[in-house]
Amino acid sequence: MGIKGLNKLLMEHCPAALRSSEIKNFGGRKVAIDASMSLYQFVIAVRQADGQQLTNENGETTSHLMGMFYRTLRMVDNGIKPVYVFDGKPPVLKSGELAKRKERREEALKKIEELKQQVEDGEEGEETKEAQEDVTRFEKRTVRVTPEQNDEAKKLLTLMGIPIVEAPCEAEAQCAKLAEAGKVYAAASEDMDTLCFGSPVLLRHLTFSEAKKMPISEINFAKILEGLEMTHAQFIDLCILLGCDYADTIRGVGPQTALKLMKEHGSLEKIVEHIEKNPSGKLKVPENWPYQEVRALLQAPDVLDSSSCDIKWNNPDVEGLVDFLVRDKGFSEDRVRAGAARLMKQVKVKPQARLDGFFKVMPKEGGEKRKADDKKTKGKKPATKKAKK
Amino acid sequence: MLEAKLNEAALLKKIIDAIKDSVTDVNFECSETGIDVQAVDSSHIALVSLKLGSDGFSDYRCDRNITLGIKVASLVKILRCANDRDALTLMADDNGDQLRLTFEDSKSERVSEFVLKLMTIDQEHLGIPDTKYESDITMPVDAFQKIMRDMFMLSESVKISCDKEGVKFSCKGDVGDGSVLIKPSSSVDDEGSTTIAVETPVSMELNLKYLNNFCKASGLAQNVHLGMSSEVPIMVEYLLPNGYLRFYLAPKIGDEDEEDEDDD
Repeated sequence: MGIKGLNKLLMEHCPAALRSSEIKNFGGRKVAIDASMSLYQFVIAVRQADGQQLTNENGETTSHLMGMFYRTLRMVDNGIKPVYVFDGKPPVLKSGELAKRKERREEALKKIEELKQQVEDGEEGEETKEAQEDVTRFEKRTVRVTPEQNDEAKKLLTLMGIPIVEAPCEAEAQCAKLAEAGKVYAAASEDMDTLCFGSPVLLRHLTFSEAKKMPISEINFAKILEGLEMTHAQFIDLCILLGCDYADTIRGVGPQTALKLMKEHGSLEKIVEHIEKNPSGKLKVPENWPYQEVRALLQAPDVLDSSSCDIKWNNPDVEGLVDFLVRDKGFSEDRVRAGAARLMKQVKVKPQARLDGFFKVMPKEGGEKRKADDKKTKGKKPATKKAKK
Repeated sequence: MLEAKLNEAALLKKIIDAIKDSVTDVNFECSETGIDVQAVDSSHIALVSLKLGSDGFSDYRCDRNITLGIKVASLVKILRCANDRDALTLMADDNGDQLRLTFEDSKSERVSEFVLKLMTIDQEHLGIPDTKYESDITMPVDAFQKIMRDMFMLSESVKISCDKEGVKFSCKGDVGDGSVLIKPSSSVDDEGSTTIAVETPVSMELNLKYLNNFCKASGLAQNVHLGMSSEVPIMVEYLLPNGYLRFYLAPKIGDEDEEDEDDD
C-alpha cells in the first residue's frame, strides 16, 4: 500500500510541499476521493467499543455505510464538494502484491482459528483475555471490502446526491487525473501512489474520524519536484526504487540510498546499468524486474477521459435514504433525517468562491523587494509556532 | 531600522481590533513609503489590505525594508496596555526578531515599553488588480453596520444589488425574508450622506459573517466605501488619514445550472 518511506523523505527534503490544515480551510473546494481506500478504512475503523463491527439486526455489516454517511456529511458541512471514485479491475502488475495480501489474510485466518481454540480451551484469566484481544487484532487483518459493500456504498452516495465515478482501473489514478484536468481541486487518498499519477495536490486524512483530531495534510506536487530537484519522470523512478505495490525493490536500497542513486544517475536505466557494472557491489537488481512496465503504468495509467466524467451534485433523496438506511440497515431515523437536512442545506446554499480564483498569487522572485526581506526574516526564530500559511 | 511614531495610539488599536477576527498572522511590510499589510483569512475567502502612509505618522524612519511577522492576537494584548491618547512608537532593528512598542502619555510623565516577539510567516502575496468598479457606493459606517447586523440575524448571506435607483440589501432566512433599500442622498453635503455611482448594475451574494467582521472597522472612518463588480470580490474600504484599510470578500457563486433558486 503506497510507497515505502516517501512521506519521511518528503518531510526531510521538501517540507515546503507539506502543509497541514483544518478541514474547514477546504470549504468551497471540489475533491476527488479514493472510495475504495475510504471504505476499507471504514470497515476497519468504524467499530463498536468491543471491537466488533457494526451490524444491523440481521447481522449484516453496516460499518462501511456508517462511515460513508457521517464522514461525507462532515465534509459537506465544511463546504467541501466530494466526488467518490471507485476502483475498477486491478492492474495485472499488482497481482503479485495482491497474492501476497491474500496469503497474509489466510495466515491471519488460520491464526484466528488457533486463538479461538485457545480461548475455548483456556481457563478464565489473563491469558485467555489476551488471546481474545489477539483474535480481534487478527480479524482486522482479514478485513476486505466485499463487492456487495461496494455496491451499497455506491447506492448510498447516489441517494445522498453525491457524484461517483467508476474508474476503469485504479481509483487513485483516476482521482489524480481529475485533479490534473482541473475538474477537482485535489485528490484525497492515503496512498502516496496518487502523487506518481501527477495529482497537483494530494490530501491525506480527509476521511478520518473527527475524534482523531488529525489535521489534514496537503501535499503539493510541484513543490515536491522543486524540493527534490527532479522531473515528474524521475520522481516516478524514485518511487519505484522506494517500493510500490507493483514491483519488488532492490535489496539494500532504502529511502536515503534511493534518493542518492536517483540524484547520481538520473534514471532507473542508468542505475541498473551502474549496478550491473559493479557486480562486486552489495546491490543486486532482482531478476525480471519489471520496472519499465511499472513506469509505463504510473506514467499512463488506465483512466477515463476527465471530460467524459459527469460530475454533478444533486439534491439528496430523503425518502430513499430513510428507506435504505433505516428500514434495511437499522439506522436511527432521526439521525438519518437530520443528516439529509444537512445535505439539503448545503445544496441550497450558494457555494462560496475563494479569493485565489480572482487574485493571482504573486511570484516571490518578481515581487519587488519581498525576496530580500524574506531572506532577512529567515534568520528570525519563530516566536511561537510557524504560521501554517 | 524602523522607527514610526503615531500621536495617538487609538489609530493602531482600532485597526488591529478591526482585523483581529479576520486574520490571525500578518506580515507588516515596512518601507520608506510606509507600512503595508496584506493577509488572507484561513479559509481563503477574505483578504485584509492595510496601508499606512509614512505621512500619517508624526515621525517616520525606515532605511531598509523590514518585514515584521506578527501574531495579531499577541499584538492585541500589547496594545490593550496603551491608552487611546498615548503617543505610540514602533521600533524594530533590521535583523531583529522583536518589535518594541512604547506608549507615552501627553504630559510625558509615563513611558511604557513593551516588546513583541516576531515570527516568520510564510504567506503568499496576492496581486489585486487596480480596476475601476462597476458600482461604487459610499455610505455612513453606522448605517452599513446596522444593515449587516440586522441581516445576519435572519440569514447567513446577503444579496447586495446596486443600480441607479439605489442599493438594495436583501436576505432570505428560515424565519423569513428581509430587505433594505438605500437611495442616494439628494444633497451631497449632508453629514452621513450616501452616494452611488453605477456604471453597470451589479448584484452579488456575500457571507454575512465576514461582512460583520469587517464592520468592526467602523470606528476608523465616517464613511465606508463599497466597490462592486460582477463576479469579482467586493471591496469594503475605510479611508484612514494617509492610507486605507480594505477588506475583500469573495462572493458566493451560483452553479452553472442553478438559476431556478426562486422557485422554492
